[in-house]
Amino acid sequence: MENKPSSSPTSFVDQSVVPGDVVLDLSNMTNQTLKLGGGLRQDCDAISVMKAGKLRFSNPNKYWVESSQKRYVPHAGDSVLGIVVDSKADIGTLLYVRVVKANPGMNPELSCTDASGKAAEFGQLKDGYMFESSTGLSRMLLSSPTCPVLDALGKKLSFETAVGLNGRVWVNASSPSTVIVVANAIMNSESLSGVQQRIMVEKLIQNLKLST
Amino acid sequence: METRLANIWRLTVNEKKFIETALQSDLRIDGRRPFDFRNISIKFSREEGSAEVQLGQTHVMAFVTAQLTQPYKDRPNEGTLSMFTEFSPMADPSFEPGRPSEAAVELGRVIDRGLRESRAVDTESLCVLSGKSVWAVRVDLHILDNGGNLVDAANIAALAALLTFRRPECSLGGEDGQQVIVHPPEVREPLPLIIHHLPIAVTFAFFSNESTVVVDPTHYEEAVMGGRMTATLNANNDICAIQKAGGEGVLQSVIMQCLRIAGQKAYDITTKIKNAVESYNTERALRKIKRHPSSVALDISGAGVNIGKNQNKPVPQKGDSERSNLTSEKSVADQSMDIEGEAKSSEQQQTNKIDGDAKNFIGGPSSWDPYPAGVNSDFLKASLASHGITMPSRKEQDSRGENMSGEAKPVEPPEDINVSSSNIEASETVLRTNGEKTLKDAVKPKNKRKMKSSSTSGR
Repeated sequence: MENKPSSSPTSFVDQSVVPGDVVLDLSNMTNQTLKLGGGLRQDCDAISVMKAGKLRFSNPNKYWVESSQKRYVPHAGDSVLGIVVDSKADIGTLLYVRVVKANPGMNPELSCTDASGKAAEFGQLKDGYMFESSTGLSRMLLSSPTCPVLDALGKKLSFETAVGLNGRVWVNASSPSTVIVVANAIMNSESLSGVQQRIMVEKLIQNLKLST
Repeated sequence: METRLANIWRLTVNEKKFIETALQSDLRIDGRRPFDFRNISIKFSREEGSAEVQLGQTHVMAFVTAQLTQPYKDRPNEGTLSMFTEFSPMADPSFEPGRPSEAAVELGRVIDRGLRESRAVDTESLCVLSGKSVWAVRVDLHILDNGGNLVDAANIAALAALLTFRRPECSLGGEDGQQVIVHPPEVREPLPLIIHHLPIAVTFAFFSNESTVVVDPTHYEEAVMGGRMTATLNANNDICAIQKAGGEGVLQSVIMQCLRIAGQKAYDITTKIKNAVESYNTERALRKIKRHPSSVALDISGAGVNIGKNQNKPVPQKGDSERSNLTSEKSVADQSMDIEGEAKSSEQQQTNKIDGDAKNFIGGPSSWDPYPAGVNSDFLKASLASHGITMPSRKEQDSRGENMSGEAKPVEPPEDINVSSSNIEASETVLRTNGEKTLKDAVKPKNKRKMKSSSTSGR
């Protein structure tokens, strides 16, 4: 399908789509295996969108819809931030854990070690400050070339963060003012482009330097 | 069930520790200083007596309505003011629909006390007929989003709504002077409530170490705090009410400091509320002036037919000179605004059919209006008031009005004002003759709007 000049999938990739949009027409493509990720459904020969978001494609044949919302649906392999709600002593403890098994209708199974059994920074997080975000923002913060806001903050300030794909972010630094600046910068950065994020971070850091 | 539990916001030990540590260096998590209020935005809607306040993420709406009832036996000369709160479940996962929770009742009580004990709203002016009929003013507060500090936001919303609320004017009449006649807004300009001063609530949150105090807590800070206090004061630094329900013990010196700070905040917030209300009132008056070209049609026709009856009615212009020019426009425009609120499809169809021509004549800003001002309202009133004789004469009037509106358009504004006021007299007199029948049903209206529906249902 990459060879077709008028192929509809390339015109939809990286675009915002809404439920009902037909993004692929299978009658034009034969002998190809496609992998459909979340948010897409096959209706006979048409691949239609189920969730609002951006259509993404990755070589060789994976399509999925990326959406951002407040509610997190567990998937195996995700790293999330959890709060202990029921145990004898530790209610309220913040933990960085990995989802092992997540079946619909059941509580997901979590583990404080990574797949090979090593601790790898999972476990209890001490101090710092946690706040909630949308799932899209969490994914952006974890994306592979470092997201611009974290990059810009990291150049000037030293801090550590743990990002849960369930929409929770934890920040820790040596002084409370740094933590507050980092938290606010991250919270504001969801709808901004890369350049805007950097500008916003510059402004916040200047205010911080002025006040200290 | 599990998803509902999963969505409840939980507090971690990390947050509690962090918020308190940050406060020791005078830092709050949203970057404010300890005695800074969040940004307040006050918005009004087309309906009179409703206000929407946003204090940071907290979002509250207030609606004010009034109804004629019997007064309390021990206060026959005073109207009543009552407050109802609704904590909508969309505001916070912990709010449940149904019976108000303790926090909801407390919020209503604090705001009510601030207004009632300080006599901010003048209840004696709400008396119509001593011992028999008074206005009962009802304030409904709806919490739409809980971002902390609901009391302050709800208080500002209630005050803004009370300041912009207008109640219908009523007078005594009838055979023995004992009958209350409520004038609809088109006939007589509705009156504002008399409010002597504005009691502003300022909430303080206390934390467990030493004397850390913050103003206007967010809901994170509310979850972590050890105690809270709400002080209600007005801009003159008079204390109207103080509420401290449980929580940590606090030093006397801290309380005095809080009261001083509350005085400053109250002054700032009073200025903000007054500015917002003033700009809303000017905007509303301007909106009514714009409709004026369409009301010219009404004037000529009315004056033509009812010259004889003009002497009986005094011009119903209210007090202040600055308002006298706007009053007539307001009355005329109120007709159209009232009608827009009505959901009477049958009358609309009639008026649209017959006055389709009128629409073409009346241009300008009101041309987008599906229910054009002036001409249609007259017809509507006629059809509501009596189905019989007056209707055909009204129809003639209207058609005459349509013809004349085209000619009458290039009349200068000052003339228009006088002409429109004379027309109001005319429409009043016509209403009066039918009024005895219809307005009797309207003595106990559910609210301003429903007066019309009750008069039609009475048929």
